[in-house]
Amino acid sequence: MSEDQDRKGDGGRSALVAEYVLGLLSPADHARVERQIEADPALQAERDFWSARFAALDSEFAEVPTPAHTLEQIEGRLFGVAKRPGFWDSLALWRGITAGALAVAVAAIGFNLMRPGPDVTSLTTQLVAALEAEGSDVRFLALYDGTGAVRLTALSGDVASDRDLELWAIQGGQDPISMGVIPVNQRSVVELSEQVRAGWGEGSVLAITLEPKGGAPEGKATGPVVALGEVHQI
Amino acid sequence: MAMQTATADIADLISRCSLRDRQAFRTLYQRTSAKLFGVVLRILRNRAEAEEAIQEVYIKIWQRSDRYVAGQYSPISWLVAIARNHALDMLRARRPPADDLDGALEIADAGPDPERLTASSQDGARIEACLAELEPDRAEAVRGAYLDGYSYEELAQRHAVPLNTMRTWLRRSLIKLRECLTA
Repeated sequence: MSEDQDRKGDGGRSALVAEYVLGLLSPADHARVERQIEADPALQAERDFWSARFAALDSEFAEVPTPAHTLEQIEGRLFGVAKRPGFWDSLALWRGITAGALAVAVAAIGFNLMRPGPDVTSLTTQLVAALEAEGSDVRFLALYDGTGAVRLTALSGDVASDRDLELWAIQGGQDPISMGVIPVNQRSVVELSEQVRAGWGEGSVLAITLEPKGGAPEGKATGPVVALGEVHQI
Repeated sequence: MAMQTATADIADLISRCSLRDRQAFRTLYQRTSAKLFGVVLRILRNRAEAEEAIQEVYIKIWQRSDRYVAGQYSPISWLVAIARNHALDMLRARRPPADDLDGALEIADAGPDPERLTASSQDGARIEACLAELEPDRAEAVRGAYLDGYSYEELAQRHAVPLNTMRTWLRRSLIKLRECLTA
């Protein structure tokens, strides 16, 4: 496909980029052309050219007032201001904890135990959680080894280069406590802070949100929850 | 002059959003939400979906405000593009995943070198003049794609021509448009 495209002249490539900007391509082609544009400054110039030119038509979009309370709803979703009992308590969020996730977790732990590792007696204090959520491909496995640190293994999921994943502990009815930004696609170890350790144990919940680079400003989650799971003893 | 001031204000509000200024976000919403709601409503043609979309659009605006480069784009065009692209993404998610890129590439070579684009891409208003040089129904199809988010199928139906005819019309029209815009 890309070979074909290279043989075509600028007219064809330009028309293709224009179709992309107009939104005329099928979902698969749209995604493909998007990747090509990202990789090619000449195509980026084409995209910007068409975007700027078509933008002259923007004045034809009529203004329509938004429904009342829309701004409050947006602010609630972004900042957690106003009364927002829905966010961490919402059903949709908890639906993310599936039986399947735990099965994966237990299988992985089984695998983990076959390898030479810590003394088996320490297992009595080991906790495990499978972190995932509907509509997200970010999946992590968390293992608490009884010594004050959580070991995280990324199972799947990618994050845009300008975003970070942030780990949170939720205990009882308290606000989530940030456990810091975690690396994507690799293992990591996160020490439990005093604050987290105070309420840590069976039933604690670990959640991962998508945040701006460097983590949530002001220590409060702003982005969507991309994975979460309840901690269980094994 | 008033127009320029309004534009500068919006650019300023966007950059303050990137500094996490919530009051600036609120003001930006109040100044621009009617326009962006008009965009998503026109493309989605469904009020409930548009109401959901407008929330997502402003969440994206807050999250991407640091990517706005003042001067490169008119700030309101940048906002409209976010709204329009979000609405189109929603439409695309509903469409069957047909694959027609091979067809898309069967277009003859035409047009100047890309280097010429940057020099002549300043004057956006010329698109109206160039659209007027196309046959009226083809110009109408291009506008329908941009302003209403019509797919090839919808355009073919509206203009009562076969799908492939509409594709050919559109692609040739886009090549002609580019020639006119870069002339």
